[in-house]
Amino acid sequence: MTVKIRFFARFRELLGTDIMTEVAPGTLFTPLITSIARNNPAGYAAVFDEKGAFHEFVILMKNGKRIELLDAATTPVADGDEIAVFPPVAGG
Amino acid sequence: MFSERELDRYKRQVMLFGEEGQERLKKAHIFVAGAGGLGSSISIYLAVAGVGTITIVDMDVVDQTNLNRQILHFDRDVGRKKTASAEEKLQALNPDITINAIDVRIEESNAANLIGRADGIVDAMDNYPTRYLLNDVAIAKEIPLFHGGIRGFYGQATTIIPGTTPCLKCIFPKAPPKEVFPVVGVTPGIIGTIQANEVIKYLTGSGRLLTGRLFIWDGMEAHAEELCVERNPACEACKSMTPTKTIARKNS
Repeated sequence: MTVKIRFFARFRELLGTDIMTEVAPGTLFTPLITSIARNNPAGYAAVFDEKGAFHEFVILMKNGKRIELLDAATTPVADGDEIAVFPPVAGG
Repeated sequence: MFSERELDRYKRQVMLFGEEGQERLKKAHIFVAGAGGLGSSISIYLAVAGVGTITIVDMDVVDQTNLNRQILHFDRDVGRKKTASAEEKLQALNPDITINAIDVRIEESNAANLIGRADGIVDAMDNYPTRYLLNDVAIAKEIPLFHGGIRGFYGQATTIIPGTTPCLKCIFPKAPPKEVFPVVGVTPGIIGTIQANEVIKYLTGSGRLLTGRLFIWDGMEAHAEELCVERNPACEACKSMTPTKTIARKNS
């Protein structure tokens, strides 16, 4: 099955966006993002902390609905899902 | 009532929302938190649109490194208080409005007093702790918060109506780390203009507000999109809020 991962802002610069990826049934949200972020060490460090958890400010959405960071580890993705990974921007 | 000069000044926008809409702008008091990159474009457009009273708050001095984006401030203003520079420029743009420029840091102890009886708060800050303070005051006073944030070529904006839409804490429960952020002046120009557009729509009752939607701008791709955002029923800031007078107020 196929899911689309969309990174935004700084994550996009480091990891690209609109990444279509083939995944096995039962694939969980967090490991999926982890495997893609590992393609770029700076991108990985932007999204995850040194323990491998999402930075607490990261916003995750699946098909336009918010997913809590803690729930992402146990939430499976489904065929056709669109996943957004978003850092709030702080500057003014 | 408008003077002949005002009627001429606003002639082309009265074509959009009538003298009644213009009157609403004139009677309005908008609080702009920050006179930096976002605050520049926000306050310039609110001033020329004829928002009757603009309070703008900043505690900084104009620095040479501000000048690539903070278009309220000129080269000759380096070393001067941003509030003095802002007041002079905004008053010169439109002498028929009132500008209150206040040179102070926005803190928990003074935020509610500074905002006073303003009809709305525009977030032109560069940090989340102060944004959360503005969010709390918007909730307590039941007035809208027009949020914007930028970094590099990227920006975001949303319009928060306490009790109806998600608040800032619902959308961004945790602040990103502080940093010296890269930025090119057009980005706060674009996002600040969107925030000012929201204020004008809110005050005149025009169009569809950017509520329940997070506008996301990617200047590198010249691409804008929006994410739906929802209230968090457990939000520490707004969970006790029910839909309120805030929307109705603009029509009163």
